[in-house]
Amino acid sequence: MATQTQSTGSKPDQAVENMVQEVRQLYADAPQLAKTALENGLPDLISQVAGARGSQTQTAGRVGIRQGKVSELTVIAPFAPGGARRLRALLRLLNGKFDADKVGTVHDMRFVFLDNDTKLLFATAYDGDWDPYIDDFATKIPDSMDILFANFEGWPGIRSPKVKDWIVKHQIPAESWYVANDLTVAETRRMTRVGKVLDEFLDKLGG
Amino acid sequence: MNAPLLELHEIQATILRQRPAPYFGTHVLLRVDDAQMGRAFLRRLSPYVDSATGWRIEANAWLAVGITYAGLEALGVPSDSLQSFPEAFRGGMAARARQLGDEGLNDPQLWDAPFGKGHIHIGVSAFSDSEEKHRRALAIARKQYEGFTGVSVLVMQDFGAQPGDRNSLGYKDGIDQPAIEGSGDEPLPGQGSPIKAGEFILGYPGEAGVLLPMPRPNILARNGTFVGLRKYQSRVGAFNRFLRANGRTEEDRELLAAKLVGRWRSGAPLTLAPEVQDPVLGADPRRNNDFNYANDPLGRQVPLGCHIRRMNPRDTTLTRLTDVNIHRLIRRGTTYGPPYDPNALSTEDDEVPRGSYFLFASAKAMATIEFLQQEWINDGDFIGASGERDPIIGLQKEDATFTIPKDPVRRRLHGIETFNVLRGGEYFFMPSLSGLTWIASLSD
Repeated sequence: MATQTQSTGSKPDQAVENMVQEVRQLYADAPQLAKTALENGLPDLISQVAGARGSQTQTAGRVGIRQGKVSELTVIAPFAPGGARRLRALLRLLNGKFDADKVGTVHDMRFVFLDNDTKLLFATAYDGDWDPYIDDFATKIPDSMDILFANFEGWPGIRSPKVKDWIVKHQIPAESWYVANDLTVAETRRMTRVGKVLDEFLDKLGG
Repeated sequence: MNAPLLELHEIQATILRQRPAPYFGTHVLLRVDDAQMGRAFLRRLSPYVDSATGWRIEANAWLAVGITYAGLEALGVPSDSLQSFPEAFRGGMAARARQLGDEGLNDPQLWDAPFGKGHIHIGVSAFSDSEEKHRRALAIARKQYEGFTGVSVLVMQDFGAQPGDRNSLGYKDGIDQPAIEGSGDEPLPGQGSPIKAGEFILGYPGEAGVLLPMPRPNILARNGTFVGLRKYQSRVGAFNRFLRANGRTEEDRELLAAKLVGRWRSGAPLTLAPEVQDPVLGADPRRNNDFNYANDPLGRQVPLGCHIRRMNPRDTTLTRLTDVNIHRLIRRGTTYGPPYDPNALSTEDDEVPRGSYFLFASAKAMATIEFLQQEWINDGDFIGASGERDPIIGLQKEDATFTIPKDPVRRRLHGIETFNVLRGGEYFFMPSLSGLTWIASLSD
């Protein structure tokens, strides 16, 4: 877990005021609908963030950003010839679930075909940092990785020393990243289990 | 697929040969003030740096040499070679504080001199199994630099010579090591199947079947490896206070000490000695590591978050897809300072200079230690100990806890402190014997 690189305390009010001014100025030549909505809705939006100004995102490692324990990964990659058709068929066969349970850190995975099936947007939320487990994929699930990623231009193979560079080349760090619950996949599953057991226990107690 | 034959005559002895028992030695950290003189120093030292095939300086004593990035630069290694080294190595360990989680008490700003400033260029370690042989090996190393201008000694730290080879917190340590394919050493029971040599030594295939990234030129990199050093100060007072706060009797405290690590302090693993310690078992290398966690998935014998289970999960079911074999390190821990004192209780006792020069090696040592620090040491989500850290080398936050799984209800201890504080660290490259000669033969 990387350390926080940004301040954890609330920003002083002056800094917030300055940012509000900047937003107002930028909205000055927005459509009237937007300007009215801003005046009506901005105070409430700001008040929701007031106490939590300290929860800034951090870097997820080599690329991407992290909010608490959960990181985002957003890749846009060009399909290799025939890659879109192959991937579509594969996703249908597997219901979009590529070893996600096995990997254990994947909260969600999104495959979005763009620009007339010439590119893929792949987006996922996962636990921890970017760097740690990629080498593990190469020795534990090399075939799954290559089945999926060989559908893209220039994929060097999961075992290649160039593989991390390929991902970095096609990954775009998010500008902003919000996570509702700062829980890992493992913690969420544990809490669900514990919650069930607790309910059963309370049921028994309640008679 | 046949394992490739290791070129033992090229590999520095300390990479494959275990720490002897008992063990004695000295670490010498040096700065190169003049490139030519620095290379001359390496030339003088090289004949005494042992390869893994045999002993050059009497039986059971040997020298090992490592060079930092700053040292490679100071010795005049050409810039296209320098640029080919991994980024994590190039900045030195202090520059990786964020990735290593070295903050708070472990912040490089608080490290002992000369660590963290890029002054350490060469590390020479002399290992031996007797006081006498150690002194002789060291005398030979000393002859090469004493009165030698252009190379300065920054640190000379004796280590070892502890009664029973116990470390500063009173534990027998260094028991479990990875078995390396092709090393010629028979794996000891419990070490598991041999791991591909390329994970530990550059120039051979690793677990994925391909060579790990290597610096250039090949003659410099092949048969070399990367070595990390982390100097820990053991806070013996804090450790003893914790044992006393959470254990009423001497037996309770020894059991608690065992639960923190996963072994009794005499070395017997909890799996094989779940309730009563067994020093005879602890001292037997053919038995003291021969176990797995198949019958203990919930950690009721060996807590999931205890030190040895974190550092080598073996067959524990982890919450995330992990190949344990690519996260192992060759460990050459060396204890320094006065022995463990069971009556030390004060904060002054915490600062008596004693602890560990923890040395570790692998072909990707920087990436591995950064992985371990992030995933297995300063976090517990991977093994079902979320929110907790390694009790021995973890950097503990305020009100940190340590959970001992138990039937019917787990025991959760509060207020565990950082027992080993980081006071220095550095990354070294340990070249092959030909690699050393190559550096020593460079011209300006």
